[in-house]
Amino acid sequence: MNVIEINHLTKMYGKSRGITDVSFSVEEGEIFGFIGPNGAGKSTTIRLLLSLIYPTSGSATIFGKDVVKFAPEIKKEIGYLPSEVFYYDNMKVIDLLKYSASFYKKDSTKRMKELAEVMELDLTKKIDDLSLGNKKKVGIVQGLLHEPKLIILDEPTSGLDPLMQQRFFDLLEKENRKGATILFSSHILSEVQRLCDRVAIIKEGEIVQVEKISQLKQNNYKKFKIETVSPMSGDYFDLPGVNQLDVKGTTTSFIFRGDINTIMQKISTVQITNLWVEEPDLEEIFMHFYQREE
Amino acid sequence: MNMYVHELKAYRKSTMIWTITLMAIVILFLLLFPSFSRDAEQFMKVLEGFPEELKKALGLTIDTLATILGFFSYAFLYIKLSGAIQAMNLGLSVVSKETRDKTADFLFTKPVTRVQVMTSKLLAAITSLLVTNIGFLVTLFIMVSIVKTQDYSMKALFMIAITLLFLQMIFLGLGILIAVLFPRIKSVISVSLGTVFAFFMIGMISSSTDDEGLRFLTPFNYFNDQYIIKNLNYETEFIWISMAIIIVTVFASYSIYRKRDIHSV
Repeated sequence: MNVIEINHLTKMYGKSRGITDVSFSVEEGEIFGFIGPNGAGKSTTIRLLLSLIYPTSGSATIFGKDVVKFAPEIKKEIGYLPSEVFYYDNMKVIDLLKYSASFYKKDSTKRMKELAEVMELDLTKKIDDLSLGNKKKVGIVQGLLHEPKLIILDEPTSGLDPLMQQRFFDLLEKENRKGATILFSSHILSEVQRLCDRVAIIKEGEIVQVEKISQLKQNNYKKFKIETVSPMSGDYFDLPGVNQLDVKGTTTSFIFRGDINTIMQKISTVQITNLWVEEPDLEEIFMHFYQREE
Repeated sequence: MNMYVHELKAYRKSTMIWTITLMAIVILFLLLFPSFSRDAEQFMKVLEGFPEELKKALGLTIDTLATILGFFSYAFLYIKLSGAIQAMNLGLSVVSKETRDKTADFLFTKPVTRVQVMTSKLLAAITSLLVTNIGFLVTLFIMVSIVKTQDYSMKALFMIAITLLFLQMIFLGLGILIAVLFPRIKSVISVSLGTVFAFFMIGMISSSTDDEGLRFLTPFNYFNDQYIIKNLNYETEFIWISMAIIIVTVFASYSIYRKRDIHSV
């Protein structure tokens, strides 16, 4: 069964583009990644699903129900964590969480304590006094409090330290095992790769591709930067799978996709002074995507 | 219900401050009455030298000023002014708060309809105004019974004093509508002060010139205290206009609010 189904969804802000003709669906029990650079339309799509904004054309359903018509009903089973969290400042954390819980007809006092403990969140503090990371934790607890069947996360990890990020992912995986479906939007490929089963890639308001993570992983991109003792000739690293090759004197950089051993062997034959191997950021991969399309 | 309680709590402090302020104005003004009525003759002589237009603009009516009702209705002009600012402020901030504090995402991703949100906010604002009005009325009647020099019509006093609530409802509706139309209002107080003072000035001009047409433009002049004292009744057409304004602003606010996009911050 599809928990989310988006059909030709278009949103225009006046004359400027929000998203154009977006269609994809998320299956029950799936962790679905939604990736794209800033301003690509991730948040717009999510806000349409939550009927915070209304579509110009097209439609979407959640749990088989139209998101506009059945908004309040659908939202009973949705937990949402926005990228930037803002709450009523002069409230204590516990009061805010209780207020949030009061919208759902469930007793979640126990779960609130549990979640707060896992995330090391001090319930007695005023929201005013919280750091960005701690506010984010409030958002996480608030979003998961009512054990939603669908969890929608809009760039959720900003502001969390690595340890908390790990705990948060563990929480998400636990919820997922219990049956929750997760829509996870991000511009950080590594976290999406780690968590998700499938991803939709969005750019400039349009879905470029919907792919399984396993597929993406086969396309193992690495970003190389090599500093050599003597200047390199421009074509030394011009192998199949090498992209965006840039040679400037003793510094060579490129993006590589394929068997990493071939590159390592190639590198081992030259005298190098320094070497960086990094995950390329999404933007760089995207450029690759488009090059392939052309 | 939870939203209503939340809103009430959020405005608890400001409601208390406004209520106490209005009560203080009533007490201070009416404390002046005993000494004023003692020297009424001399005051009248001074006042008679004032230009007619100025007297009208200030709401001074010589022949009734020495009575408690007349004296109060002079003071009432300024109570109405503060009351209108309170109501307009409340209407503006109760709606625009979610946008300004960026909490709209929190509220509108909960399983509630926009109509429920608006209704809770509206009811909380009305409750807050009712609290202020009850405080005001109680203080007024106690003070009048203390400082009165002769008998007065309690009915007339009540009928005048309750127009504060009518006026506040009009400005509440106006505030809500403006906040719905312009969701990104940064400073509530400047908008409400500006609007209320504009209407207040029109009111003064309308009073001093006796311009009947102008009177329709400003809620401050919908309820004429002198007319109420004389006839123990309101002018029907202005009751209708007030109701129409309240209904139209509230209804328009609801229908815009339901369809509005909640933009991210």
